[in-house]
Amino acid sequence: MIFDLWHKTKYIYENGASFCHNLTTIKPKTFPGQTLLDYTLEISPTPTDITERTDFFGNAVTRFSIQQHHKELIVIAKSKVERDYASQIDHETFLKAKDISIEDTKLVLKGTASELIDVRQFLMPSPLISSNSETIKSYAAMSFKPGRSFYDATYELMQRIYTDFDFVPGFTNIATPLKEVMLAKKGVCQDFAQIAIACIRSMGLPAKYVSGYIETLPPEGKEKLIGTDASHAWFSVYLPNYGWVDFDPTNNQIPKNQHIVVAHGRDYYDVPPLKGVIYSMGKNTMEVSVDLRPSKDYLAQMQSQSQQ
Amino acid sequence: MKTLTKTIFKNYFSASSKYDELLTSKMSIKDNWKVLSQNLLHIGTENLAIKQTELNWLLSENGVTYNVYNDPNGLNRPWDLNVVPYLIHQNEWTNVEKGIQQRAELLNLILKDLYGKRELLKNGILPPEVIYAHSGFLRACDQIKYKNAKQLSIYAADLARGPDGRMWVVNDRTQAPSGMGYALENRFSTSKVIPELFTNINVTQPTNFFNDFNQLLINSAATNAESPMVVILTPGPHNETYFEHSYLSSFLGYPLVKGNDLVVRHGKVWLKSLKGLKQVDVILRRIDDTFMDPLELREDSYLGVAGLLEAVRLQNVSIINPIGSGVLENPALNPFMKNICKYFLNEELILPQIASWWCGQEKERKHVLADLPSFVLKRIDRSNREHIYFCEFLDKAALEQLKKEILEFPFRFIAQEKIAFSTAPNFIKNQLEPRKILCRTFAIAKDDSYSVMPGGLVRVAPEREELFVSNQRGGTSKDFWIVTDTPQPNLQNYSWNKSNSSPSTVINDVPSHTAENLFWSGRYIGRALVTARYLRMVLNQMTNAQYNDRKSESESLKILFQSITKITSTFPGFIGENEAEALQNPLKEIKDIILDEHKIGSFAQSMQSFSNSYYALRNLWSRDMWRVFDGIQKHIKTLKNKEDYTVYTLTNFFDKIITRLIAFMALTEESIMVRQGLLLYFIGLQLEISAMNIEKFRAVLIVNYDEELEYEILESLLNSHESLNIYRYSYNSYLSIENVINLIILDKEYSRSLTYQMHRLKKDIDKLPSTHQNNELTVCQENMNLVISKLESFTISDMLSIHSESNMRDKLDQLLSDLSDLLHVTSMSISDTYFNHSQPQKQLVNRKISN
Repeated sequence: MIFDLWHKTKYIYENGASFCHNLTTIKPKTFPGQTLLDYTLEISPTPTDITERTDFFGNAVTRFSIQQHHKELIVIAKSKVERDYASQIDHETFLKAKDISIEDTKLVLKGTASELIDVRQFLMPSPLISSNSETIKSYAAMSFKPGRSFYDATYELMQRIYTDFDFVPGFTNIATPLKEVMLAKKGVCQDFAQIAIACIRSMGLPAKYVSGYIETLPPEGKEKLIGTDASHAWFSVYLPNYGWVDFDPTNNQIPKNQHIVVAHGRDYYDVPPLKGVIYSMGKNTMEVSVDLRPSKDYLAQMQSQSQQ
Repeated sequence: MKTLTKTIFKNYFSASSKYDELLTSKMSIKDNWKVLSQNLLHIGTENLAIKQTELNWLLSENGVTYNVYNDPNGLNRPWDLNVVPYLIHQNEWTNVEKGIQQRAELLNLILKDLYGKRELLKNGILPPEVIYAHSGFLRACDQIKYKNAKQLSIYAADLARGPDGRMWVVNDRTQAPSGMGYALENRFSTSKVIPELFTNINVTQPTNFFNDFNQLLINSAATNAESPMVVILTPGPHNETYFEHSYLSSFLGYPLVKGNDLVVRHGKVWLKSLKGLKQVDVILRRIDDTFMDPLELREDSYLGVAGLLEAVRLQNVSIINPIGSGVLENPALNPFMKNICKYFLNEELILPQIASWWCGQEKERKHVLADLPSFVLKRIDRSNREHIYFCEFLDKAALEQLKKEILEFPFRFIAQEKIAFSTAPNFIKNQLEPRKILCRTFAIAKDDSYSVMPGGLVRVAPEREELFVSNQRGGTSKDFWIVTDTPQPNLQNYSWNKSNSSPSTVINDVPSHTAENLFWSGRYIGRALVTARYLRMVLNQMTNAQYNDRKSESESLKILFQSITKITSTFPGFIGENEAEALQNPLKEIKDIILDEHKIGSFAQSMQSFSNSYYALRNLWSRDMWRVFDGIQKHIKTLKNKEDYTVYTLTNFFDKIITRLIAFMALTEESIMVRQGLLLYFIGLQLEISAMNIEKFRAVLIVNYDEELEYEILESLLNSHESLNIYRYSYNSYLSIENVINLIILDKEYSRSLTYQMHRLKKDIDKLPSTHQNNELTVCQENMNLVISKLESFTISDMLSIHSESNMRDKLDQLLSDLSDLLHVTSMSISDTYFNHSQPQKQLVNRKISN
């Protein structure tokens, strides 16, 4: 499947801004199963300077600054992404990895192979997931029973979060402590991903945060409106001898061809889509719209194929 | 030495600890200390006490301070230096020096590795959690390349003597180590106050070390290597070691700047200066890692520079020490140092460390938890300010709580063996007393090794039994001597830069905030002086009035009281609603105008604003200035603490203050160069004095009084204007309003006349850097031209003309009012054109995360 992705962020400054420095983490990744075919980043006003680099977690980060007075800032990222879940997984090793127990996983993680050194940081507290609460631990323990396979336990945790938590936009923000989310059992995809990560880490197991997009489908019989998608977030766990496997607790599924991966981090703190420092008086407001849909060219080709 | 028993050493022997620097186990004085002990005996107890007082006085006079957070005594606690130095012989120091060099090099290699290949982790030398659990490991700094041979440029080690008699490393400081300036000042002070202490002792001086330091800063420049711009970045006057920042700034001769003086554009760092932006090549920073860049590091930091890290990545600026070096301030490295030393250098560690067990390892954790009370527990980073648990003193509940915390995040804790470090003699209450000491010394990257300061800063435990030595908790310091058997050269007063021959400052390069602070300090001191003189004049008139009761006297007093309110803009004061009450008890209102710093326009408020602006300029001060400044503050404090006020006490206060203000102004003019920004001070001063004079004239010269009253008013005005003698000299006649206006408004040669002052102001403003390409006039210049032409368009008869209905000199009033407005606009335009006007820094998305 090939997708056209369009992500627009607009800031309006009440009294204008004289200067700004910004960082964006919105460029989709390329890895087996996902290929970034085309990408453009349009920024208005035109930045004075702009550079792209790969960060510690392997994400593409773009830094730009605008040095003239401006009233609004518009950042539009346009991508064409090919997604093919079938080539992402190796069924045979995956089946084996699914069976590895929690205890064996912990044992493997004591190793110092280069990959494991990297994985071990995802066992540790992180900026937004910094303390273990008893509530989180006991919630996690219900699924992470001794002897169980890490994969199964994680799958069940995902299902429970999906069932126990309500998707309520506006109840939380980025600074809402996990404890509160846990107590109210309400939040959005970022909260669910971070709750899951906190649970898994409280069990001494590695989990990381994934930011990206998900294709939403319109109600049956209706045309999909433009710009109605949103940024999405889920989590990933490391299975020994296999690698990272994603879970989406918001939608109760293993992300496949409808999920586009942008960045990985310890939690949201590491991978905000856009952040920055501005010099400005007064308030500012933000509007975000995202559109993710199968590429027209791609659809057209598919349709032309099936007519033959 | 039998005489010892009757001297300062009297109780030393019985009080001494297990391990003492002065005494051997057989209670005799060690060889290295013999000459010093003799010198101390020779000076004698009484003299030592006098010298200690002199030392305290000198340090306080020189403004050597240390700010203690949350200290009820407020900012600027005087630095405390004990008269008795601490010493180590070169024979021992040579080995310590080697150990420091080795450790600096090791930490340098660790730093390179952690932000580079991470072989220490991959080869199993260092468990990754030692790094991942440390808040100083900054992922944003990963893989940054540096041109300098050494990534770690400055290293500070805290040393203490262990039970085995060797010097042990207690702490590593690698971000922005403090103490170098204090160490130097300690040496200067001791040498100045008690040179006899050095009799027959060869003390190594840190001159070469500071030259190496200066050379390091210059050589670090990746850009403009010929003549690099070096700045010292300070968090500002409220930081605990601000004294040292300004001290180093004047000692080394580099501008002291704050984060908002710098800006990143086009991937380079620029200093906002009077003429515009000037590229910065090297930053010696005294700000912690995470505060350095609000874009990529701590988002809520207002101390750093947004985009700085990118400029570092592009190798357009060098930061000393590099951002991210805080990861080395990590006691959890200790247990692995031996292996790291083998791995990198194939050597044994030269300096011993405190035995440490990192709780992130299972075996070690069990060992620690099995007998928690026998350990000292620390967090591996300083996210909690210097949090150390002395477990032996913890009660059961606290131990349980700590145990729980350790079990929850074991890798965050390190346990250390409890060690009794050595004591050294300290002069307290005319006696020598053994106190625990901690020595901090410094290493600077030089060629392929490190240059180590001979000596450093010794800190003394505040109480006799105290285990913990830290400046942050108060305490005393000592001069730290390395003594040798050969004579040593003298100490240099400044660090001279051998390779940089281009003149460093012209008016264009003055940092905007320095210029701004100079401008405002000129304005505030001008305001304080005019206010003081005017109030003193009124107080004198009150004294006169007590002895005669002419009607005109009381009328003129009322006019004068009301003029105070107008001149200082401390409305309502003597005017309006509470007029009657205020006039009934004028001393109360005058006292408030003097002392109430919450009253806008009061003398106290001017002085406070003045202090703030001036304090921010500390690096430009001479020591005499500090002395006078301190004297002014003390007089204000004394007056505040007085319960009764009389006209006399207040007059007396102003007599003292006015003399000091004038001394201070004279010192300012002779010790700061015009091209360092003094021009801005003059402009501020002239602007304020002129503006207040205009108010003064408007308050007393406009209404047409009868002859007797007019005489008194004019006399008072000239008095407050310090122009009575000049008037007598010039006119040799009865006071007439015509002559008075001629003298204090129109005279072209008299330095206190308004016309003269306006011309002088114009001349100074003309000297400011032009912001235009061609020779167009700046807005400030245009304004000044308007002022002059307005003033010149009025004749004396215009000014004297009285409006028949209002009985006022309305034309004069109009002129003065117009001039007042124009001066205000001029001041604004100077501020707009030359000062730093960045809008407030904000986060694009306020994530309210502070970690």
